[in-house]
Amino acid sequence: MTIRNVRDHGQRYRPRMSCLKKMEAVVLEMQDPKTGVKSQTQRLVITTIPHAITGEDIVEWIANRFKIDAAEARAMGTMMVAFGYIYPLQDHKRLILKPDTSLYRFQTPYFWPAQQWPVEDTDYAIYLAKRNIRKKGLLELHEQEQYNNLHKWMNHKWDFIVMQAKEQYRAGKERKKPDRVVFDCQERAYWVVHRPPPGTISGMDCGLERMVDPNQEEIIFTQQCIMRPRVKSSVSIGALVKYTTTYKQHDPFLYPCLPSNPWLTDDVTYWHLNMPNVENPTKMRVERWTFSFGELLSDPRGRADFRLFLKKEFSGENLAFWEACEDLKWGAAATMQEKAQQIYKTFLARGAPRWINIDGKTMEITVKGLSHPHRYVLDAAQTHIYMLMKKDSYGRYLKSPVFKETQKKAVAPEAHKFSEAQLEQNAKKRRPSLSPIILRQQEEEQKAKLAASGPVDITQVMSKLAQKKATEPEQKT
Amino acid sequence: MPLSNAKVADGTSAHPLQEGQTMVDSLTKVVACYRHLASCIGSSTDSASLRQELRQTRERAQKLALSCRNHLTARLRDKALSEEDRKETELQWVAFSSCLELFHADMCKVYHIGNCFSVAKNSAMVQTGMQGGATEVAARALSMPDLQEHSDVQTASMEGLDQSQLEQEIAQVDCTLEDMEMKVNVLRWTVEARGPQYADPVSADSASLALLSVDEDVSGSFCDRSQMFVVLLLCGVAVVAVVLSVCVVFLA
Repeated sequence: MTIRNVRDHGQRYRPRMSCLKKMEAVVLEMQDPKTGVKSQTQRLVITTIPHAITGEDIVEWIANRFKIDAAEARAMGTMMVAFGYIYPLQDHKRLILKPDTSLYRFQTPYFWPAQQWPVEDTDYAIYLAKRNIRKKGLLELHEQEQYNNLHKWMNHKWDFIVMQAKEQYRAGKERKKPDRVVFDCQERAYWVVHRPPPGTISGMDCGLERMVDPNQEEIIFTQQCIMRPRVKSSVSIGALVKYTTTYKQHDPFLYPCLPSNPWLTDDVTYWHLNMPNVENPTKMRVERWTFSFGELLSDPRGRADFRLFLKKEFSGENLAFWEACEDLKWGAAATMQEKAQQIYKTFLARGAPRWINIDGKTMEITVKGLSHPHRYVLDAAQTHIYMLMKKDSYGRYLKSPVFKETQKKAVAPEAHKFSEAQLEQNAKKRRPSLSPIILRQQEEEQKAKLAASGPVDITQVMSKLAQKKATEPEQKT
Repeated sequence: MPLSNAKVADGTSAHPLQEGQTMVDSLTKVVACYRHLASCIGSSTDSASLRQELRQTRERAQKLALSCRNHLTARLRDKALSEEDRKETELQWVAFSSCLELFHADMCKVYHIGNCFSVAKNSAMVQTGMQGGATEVAARALSMPDLQEHSDVQTASMEGLDQSQLEQEIAQVDCTLEDMEMKVNVLRWTVEARGPQYADPVSADSASLALLSVDEDVSGSFCDRSQMFVVLLLCGVAVVAVVLSVCVVFLA
C-alpha cells in the first residue's frame, strides 16, 4: 500500500555507488582474524560486548593495506563511517573517524547501504515510533518534526506503523541484553546515515532529483557533438575577419552612409538613390555586387544589370529559370501546380523554347518529382543552374562592358553637412514613405514589362546564328 | 485495537472482523520477528540454525499471509458489507499490504546477503558484536515456547536449495502484491488511521528500565567506571580504618 514515491534521486540511472561493492570487500577483509583489524571488548556497566575496534587501529590497518599515508587512510576511514559500514560507539551523531582510542564497530550487512533498495519512509516511521516507545516520548527536535510529517503523509498506514513498532519492540525484548544494546546501536547508526540530523551532510547524498536518465542525456549530447561539422577555429575566424573587412564600409553603424543617414538627418536622399529600379545606382551599391554572386542577385538593380548582360550573351534562360524557381518556392500554393507545369514546358521539356542545359541525373530527378509537384521540386535543378551562373557567367559579367558602363555611370553622392537649424527643418519636413501597396504595384508592372519584352526563343536564335558567321561568344552552358 | 497475545488463536471468532484483525496482528508479529532475524544474517551470529529459523519464520509468514489475503479479499469483494465494516476491513487491508511489503523487502535483503555470506562455505562473517542467537525471537514468531536445537550442519546443497526456494517465495509475494492491487480497489486516501499518533509507551518493567539505563549510558560508561573506582577506594579506606580500630581495641 505504498505510494511509490520515486525518491531515489535518479540513482537507478547512475550507479555511481559502485564504490559500495568495493567498500564491502574491504570491510570483509578487515574481518579476518589474522590479518584484519584488532578487535577489543567494550565494557559497559553491566556487560561486555566484543568486536569493538579503535579508530587508530582502523587507520593503521588501512594505511598498511593500501600503502598510503595516515591522513589519506583517515579520510578513507571517514568515508567508510559516513557510508555506514562502521559506526562510532561514542558520539554517534558525528560520522567521522577519530584516529584515537575512540571505539567503533562494524555494521551488520542487513543495514549496509544498498542502492537497489531505496531507504523507505515506512521503516523510518517505524523506527521513530519504536524510539518514542523506548524514550517515553522524548524524541529529538528533528525527529519529532519528521515524525509529524510522516504522520501526515502516511496517515493511512499509521495504525500499521504503530502496531509494527510495538511488535518489533517486543520481539527485541526477547533477545539477550547485550544483543539488544548492539541492535539498537546498529539501527540508530543506520538512521543517522540515511536520515541525517539537520546541518549534517549525509554520505548517501545523491544530489538533485532526476526524473530522466542523465546517462541517456549525456549519450545524446556526445553523439550530437561528434556529428557536428567541425571547423578549425583559425578557419572560422579567418572567415569572420574576411567578412568584416569586406563589409566594413557598407555598415551604416561603422561608417557614415552617403549622402547621409536618413534616420539621423531626416533627409531621404539616400533612399531615393538606392531605390530598387533606379537608373544609376550608387557606387557603394555597385561595389557590393562584386562581393558575391548572391549579393548581385539579391539586389534588384544588380539582377537587372545581370539580366541585360545575359541577354547580350544569349544565356538569359538560366536566370529566367532561376527566377521562375524562386517564384515557385515563394509563391502562392494555389498556383503552384500550373506554375510548375509552365516551367517544365518552357525550360525543361525536350525542344522547349528556353531549354536549359542541366545534367542528365538532375533532369531525371526533376522530371520524376514533377509528377507530384511541390514547392521544392525544382530545387536540385535550381541549385545546378545557380552554381553554373556563379562559376561561369558571373565572372564574365564582372569583366563585361555592361558592368563597366554601370560602374562608370554610378553616382557617388557627397556627404551632407547639415547645421542644427537645417536638421530641425528636415525633421519638420518628414513625410511617410511610399505605401507598400504602391511599391508592390510598381513591382508587378516591372515584371509585366519584362515578360512582354519577350524571352529569347532559342530555336530562332540558333537558326540565326547558324546563318551568321558572327564572333559572338557561344553559349557555354 | 485489541492486541493479540504471544500465542495466536487460530481464529474461529464468530465475528469475521475480529478474525481478520487477529490474522493481521499475527502477521505483523511474525514480520517483526522476521526483521529481527534478518538483521542477524551475515553477522557474527549467523549460523545454520539462524538460517533454519529464518526459513521457518518465513514459511509461517507465508501461510498467514495466504489465509489473511483470502479472508480479506473475500470480505472486500462482498458487496453487502456495511460502511463501518468496510472501513475497518480497509484498515486491515492497508495493514496487511504494508506488512507484505515489509516482508518482501526483508526477504530480498536476506536473499541478497545470503548469497554473499554462505554458512556452508564458512565465509567470513562481519563481526558485529552480537553473541547470542535469535532463537527466542524465532520462538516468539512461531508461537512455540521453545525451539528444538537443530543440527548445525548445513551443506552447500541445502543452502542452494534454500536460496532457490527463497527466490521463488519472493516472486510469489510479488505476484500476491500485484494481484491484491488488481483485485481489490482500496483507495488509500480514503483510509484514515484510527489509532494514536504516538505509540503509548509500554508499561515499564524492570528489564526495559535496565536496558534503558544501559543504552543511555553507553557513552558515559567510562565515567561510571571512574566513579565506581572512587567508590571502591573509599570503601577500601573505610575497611582499613575499621580493621585498625579493631586492632587497637584488641591490643588495648
